[in-house]
Amino acid sequence: MSQINLLICGEGGQGIQTIAKAILDTANLSDNFISYIPSFGVEQRGTPSIAFLIISDKPVLYPKFNSADICVILQQRAIDSVVKYINPNTTVLFDSSTVLHTKIPKIAAKKLGLPATKYAREKFSPRSYNVIIYGAISKMTALNSDQAEETIISVLSGKLKDKKLEESYRQAFKFGYEAVLETGKYSFALYQTKTEINIIRDQNKTAEIDPNLCKGCGICILKCPVKALQFGEESGVFALPVPTIDIAKCIACGNCRRFCPDGAIGVDKK
Amino acid sequence: MIDKMPKSWNRKTKPHLFCPGCGHGITLKQLGYALDELKIQKRTTFGIDIGCSLLAWNFLNCDTIQTHHGRTTPVMVGFKMAKPSRVAIAYMGDGGGYAIGLQSLLHAAFRNDPITAILVNNENYAMTGGQMAPTTELGIKTSTTPNGKTLNFGNGFLGPELVKQISQKQSFVARVSVSQPEIVKLTLAKALQNQIQNNSFSFVEVLSICPTNWKTDAKDSFLRLESMQKYYKLGEIKDESN
Repeated sequence: MSQINLLICGEGGQGIQTIAKAILDTANLSDNFISYIPSFGVEQRGTPSIAFLIISDKPVLYPKFNSADICVILQQRAIDSVVKYINPNTTVLFDSSTVLHTKIPKIAAKKLGLPATKYAREKFSPRSYNVIIYGAISKMTALNSDQAEETIISVLSGKLKDKKLEESYRQAFKFGYEAVLETGKYSFALYQTKTEINIIRDQNKTAEIDPNLCKGCGICILKCPVKALQFGEESGVFALPVPTIDIAKCIACGNCRRFCPDGAIGVDKK
Repeated sequence: MIDKMPKSWNRKTKPHLFCPGCGHGITLKQLGYALDELKIQKRTTFGIDIGCSLLAWNFLNCDTIQTHHGRTTPVMVGFKMAKPSRVAIAYMGDGGGYAIGLQSLLHAAFRNDPITAILVNNENYAMTGGQMAPTTELGIKTSTTPNGKTLNFGNGFLGPELVKQISQKQSFVARVSVSQPEIVKLTLAKALQNQIQNNSFSFVEVLSICPTNWKTDAKDSFLRLESMQKYYKLGEIKDESN
């Protein structure tokens, strides 16, 4: 293939533009012509973030395209904004632990799943899911694996504070590069945002946490005077973890509701 | 849980558009409680500025006007002149209020126009990526001051003190912080009362947090807010010359 039209989409803050830049830097090392258009809203977080990339062995005359060869989807909410670029010859790669495979448009030629969020949380560091996806994209676009690994580590160097974390990101990349992608049988979308409110009760108080509103800022955990809250396994609306409550410790002081900027948490006395 | 939220808190538009941990969410929620307390939701008009504050366009369930950058105050003054029975709120950030829109704010205070101006101060231009603002304190690193803000750009801008200097006696000027949400609510209610009962100008600056552009987590954000409170003194600003 002389030209690859690559489209990466997800939630703002997931690292879409970071992995897009790393892919281009790697492609540039081996004498390819590249073009890149980032697309996101005025908000810094929480709107779909899309990257349009072209990797070609001829000069790129026009950076826009109407049909993607490879479309990467990291969050279910972003599908609506990229559905017009998915055509009968598009290969869709998606994070099958956050996106339901039935939501992917049927028209796509191939639907490849990779439960990156699940593996990142189980095996590597929780925020490394985009590096796993990056590894899979590097393989699909036939990039050199060693070069790709060095590029992503140098792009992320400001965030990787110690050697241990860097090593886990290198492992995550290698895992993504060598992962067998799911074709027919997909993983269960375990970490997709729930729509119902979590209700936790004991004899004299009821706690409510709404994952559909929670953005995972952690202010409630900081402001809890008895440390009854901590981050849990579930994902909130911005793909960040939602707090869980230890109802036995809770004294129903109301600090979490008072400080929550999103109105996502509250404890009531019966 | 939802019935514990303010009546004006528009459930249909949630989750709102602000970043995780944004102080705008805390401030607007307390404003909603203040509107409930005074029972003025139906006769409130809410003016918003350009910048992060514009993301509040559908936060509250009351009439909203979106204006040009820094022109929230004059638009709300004009609105109040045309419809004196309404309660006019001008909601802006520190860029809109202190940088481009300062003359509008000062003249509204000088003329004692009966509106309530609420200014959320997070020490940077947050929507464009955290550049230096007039309110940035000395030594703070932003994307345009990579070695820390130096004295030739001035220290943090003391807005409420300046507004109080030129405003008239009846006006109400105060500074509060999102680290004390209950006080935010009480102060906003007092500012709205001043507009309704005394027919005078009121101005409240809310010190806020910006985890996205400060690049901090919840704990570090509130630590920085504490150090901000040492420079920006909280409470009602009194005119010492009188």
